[in-house]
Amino acid sequence: MLEGLAENAPKAAAVGLYDGAGAMRTEMEYQAKRIQTEPFKYASDGQMRKPSPEEKAIVERGAIGVAKFRKDDDGCDTSVGFSNTGYAMLAGRRVPIPLIANSINSGTSFMQKQPFVRKARTAGGKKAADVMKKSITDYLEKNTGGK
Amino acid sequence: MPDDYTTLVAALKTLDIPFAENGWTSRPNVNTYGVVQLDFEASALRGDNTKLCSSYEGSVDLFSLSRDGDGMVEAVVEILDEVCGASWSLNSHMWEQNTRLFHWEWTFEVDDCAVHSEDDGDEGSPGNAGGAG
Repeated sequence: MLEGLAENAPKAAAVGLYDGAGAMRTEMEYQAKRIQTEPFKYASDGQMRKPSPEEKAIVERGAIGVAKFRKDDDGCDTSVGFSNTGYAMLAGRRVPIPLIANSINSGTSFMQKQPFVRKARTAGGKKAADVMKKSITDYLEKNTGGK
Repeated sequence: MPDDYTTLVAALKTLDIPFAENGWTSRPNVNTYGVVQLDFEASALRGDNTKLCSSYEGSVDLFSLSRDGDGMVEAVVEILDEVCGASWSLNSHMWEQNTRLFHWEWTFEVDDCAVHSEDDGDEGSPGNAGGAG
């Protein structure tokens, strides 16, 4: 009934991880859409400000993605987040996209935090696990001829 | 409000720096200051048509012109250790080029299992009728 399980297990895990990472990415994009904004202003004299629509747009279209799968002794692993190489023009300056995302997520001394990455991690964890479970089960059922 | 959070806020406010709950409307004119807040509900335990327990994720932020946070980093960590046990971590440590402030952000999790206990009169509610023997 479960013939071929041993040789199919690594591939099943990879398929599950791929789909789970996709679910996490979708959740992060959803949370990024919910970032509150206000028109850009320089936060002078110790005033606080919200992210500008431009900053939000950079984060939204920016570079939420899934990293290359890494193989190790236990199987494979990946990460969901922002590309380290992405840059955007903001108020005439070239700024790394992860820095903008981090400023919104963790806040700064002049911008109130909106922890969208932490929210995505918390809300998306269970969804990703469910998706992975289904993908792995489906794959094994299809490829091992058993339930 | 979770008891542990109330304790945490009270402990942070005993430190020798200004500590605000839920953020500042404008930056205080001091070398070192902090912020503590609950950010969102991380998870909840539901049963019998009621919420039995909630877990909240929050954060403590420390801003300082000094690289060592004027000694407040250790003080905050000590308080987190004491109040939150193992359920906290340093989420980020950054330096702001514009303001020249160092920024530490710790996240923590506290639960509130007393929110919907006997205060709500659960014992007599229809949902619980016949539940126990």
